[in-house]
Amino acid sequence: MISMAENKGSNQKNSKLRGLIITIVASFASAFLLLLIFADDPPSALRLFFLSPFSNTYYFGNMIAAMVPLMLGGLGISIAFASRNFNLGGEGQIYAGGLAAVAVCLAFPDGSPFLVQILACLAGAFAGAIVGSLSGILKSRLGVDELISSFLISAIVVLIVDYFITGPMQDKSSNFQTTQSIGQNLRFARILPPSLLSTGLFLGLASCLLAKIIFDRTRFGYELRVYGEGGEFARYCGINTEMYTFLPMGISGAMHGLAGAAMILGTNYKAMKSFSSGIGWNAISVALIAHNDPLAVIGAAFFIAYLDAGAKGLMVGSNVSSEIVSVVQAVIFYLITAQFSFGQKRKTRKPSQADRQSIGARS
Amino acid sequence: MNFTSNLVAMLSGAVSAMTPLLFAALGGLFTELTGMLNIALEGMITLGAFFGVYGSALTGNLAAGIALGIAASTLVSWIYGEITLRLKANEFITGLATNLLATGLTVILSQKLFNTKGVVAFNVAPLPVLTAALAKIPVVGPIFFGQNILAQLSWLMAILSWILIRKTPLGMRIRATGSNQKAIIALGLKPDHYKLVAILFSGITCGLAGSYLSLNLSAYVPNISSGRGWIALVAIYLGGRKPSGILAACFIFALAESFSNYAQGFLKIPSEFVLAIPYAASLLALILGSLSKRRGDQWR
Repeated sequence: MISMAENKGSNQKNSKLRGLIITIVASFASAFLLLLIFADDPPSALRLFFLSPFSNTYYFGNMIAAMVPLMLGGLGISIAFASRNFNLGGEGQIYAGGLAAVAVCLAFPDGSPFLVQILACLAGAFAGAIVGSLSGILKSRLGVDELISSFLISAIVVLIVDYFITGPMQDKSSNFQTTQSIGQNLRFARILPPSLLSTGLFLGLASCLLAKIIFDRTRFGYELRVYGEGGEFARYCGINTEMYTFLPMGISGAMHGLAGAAMILGTNYKAMKSFSSGIGWNAISVALIAHNDPLAVIGAAFFIAYLDAGAKGLMVGSNVSSEIVSVVQAVIFYLITAQFSFGQKRKTRKPSQADRQSIGARS
Repeated sequence: MNFTSNLVAMLSGAVSAMTPLLFAALGGLFTELTGMLNIALEGMITLGAFFGVYGSALTGNLAAGIALGIAASTLVSWIYGEITLRLKANEFITGLATNLLATGLTVILSQKLFNTKGVVAFNVAPLPVLTAALAKIPVVGPIFFGQNILAQLSWLMAILSWILIRKTPLGMRIRATGSNQKAIIALGLKPDHYKLVAILFSGITCGLAGSYLSLNLSAYVPNISSGRGWIALVAIYLGGRKPSGILAACFIFALAESFSNYAQGFLKIPSEFVLAIPYAASLLALILGSLSKRRGDQWR
């Protein structure tokens, strides 16, 4: 019996690994193809996309710096997915977190830098948590679908933050739609000049390690996963199911808010209009590629940051717009959960509800 | 401008704004009935909008342009359907993929073809108004007969959808795919087949929704769909998964949109809040809908 179970487990692992390899190969292939079609000078565009992130310290450091919000947001999505909650509000949560962090930094320009940084991170996490738990509470209290509500709430939050950035909090001395910059003393220390890479990287890495320990070694992590496996089982185990319908959404929002704060303190220093645009979707890619495993989130964040850095390189040196990365990411999304069962008999599709559960299953 | 003429203008604006929502929601209704939550509507509307207006300008023919818009969104819906059904991928993630694909592809194409990521204006004829002669009737004239052919087609489609769902074998099988999949299998039919049909149908209607948006503006604007695919999902839910209910729900959302356009003029509220009104209205509807549902459950 045991060997059969193990066999099934390793089969699942194999098929997941195969799916991951196919997805990554397909994403590179699609980037290659798009550049062949759309670039005026394909060889140079290909070189820019694939090699420019490694071409000098500046590009390389920026790529690593871009991993920070992806790791934090990716962890946030992993927590939601592992507990079978769909958080599509990452965009608004990151944006709100960033604005909250800027507000704290501008309010205490002369405070002790370390304390203000902590306060800014907490404020960011708190802002994100409020946005996220709103969907969670609506789900656990009223049964409102969190997938749709988190998207709608995020869309509203984005517009409200837009209002603050272009209205009350706008830097009147600047021609850009942005807030004032936070003080020099409040910024995370740079560790690879001239690039934007800062000590924020350690915040991201430490969060992944901590999340791994919480996921695998604590009662909360265990109950989260049992709840995520779905069904009546969690209730029979005496798990407070109502708590796990809204708490993960709150934590997920907090991680996104923290990601926004880390962007402000580490790389952006001010909240420009739509500074975080697209990162919420990127965080979903990270969690999917990592199969909700906090340590794998680090590698997945690197992969997505690499694609993004390549696209930025393209924007500078060729006529292809950086949105090429959206299409590549679409290819990843299409294939990452696909089941490539070559030569095996296909079963009938599971209904929708099963889809929500399958995203939670963690190998 | 007196009160009545303002009201008539607002109502006819609402009926016009209802068109893309209604198209998208009717398409989404079919996938909903087969048991899928179609979050790809947003992306398919975007593609329909881009190719609808681009095709019209390219061929100089509105019908050909709309056909191209429909073809583009249907092609993508086919990709979405095949990957979701055949490769058994998670439908929510493939739905998001479709939205990302649409955003990315339209920007890349717009950059390549028109050298801009922003607004692209096209020289296209306005959509014809077949009942223009009747538009002079006070009040109902401008509201119903002043609408163009696509708006009126959306009303016709609501009726046809009702007939298709309620009165035809295909409609029955689509419903059974969602509610009683075992019966479909027992009949020797394939549930996935009906799901794909529903997805393709949503591709067609989203092509129409998108074409309406861009042809009305004679331009392609980035983020032209601005959440309509999502609002349509709320309309399906709020409308009780029935064409008549969906028609009413879409009208309410369109009224909120039309009102917010007018409110901007006299209320002097920041444009960001005006843009948020449709989202806020759908969120409110979603919450109220589940409140009433819950109460209904308790009474039973």
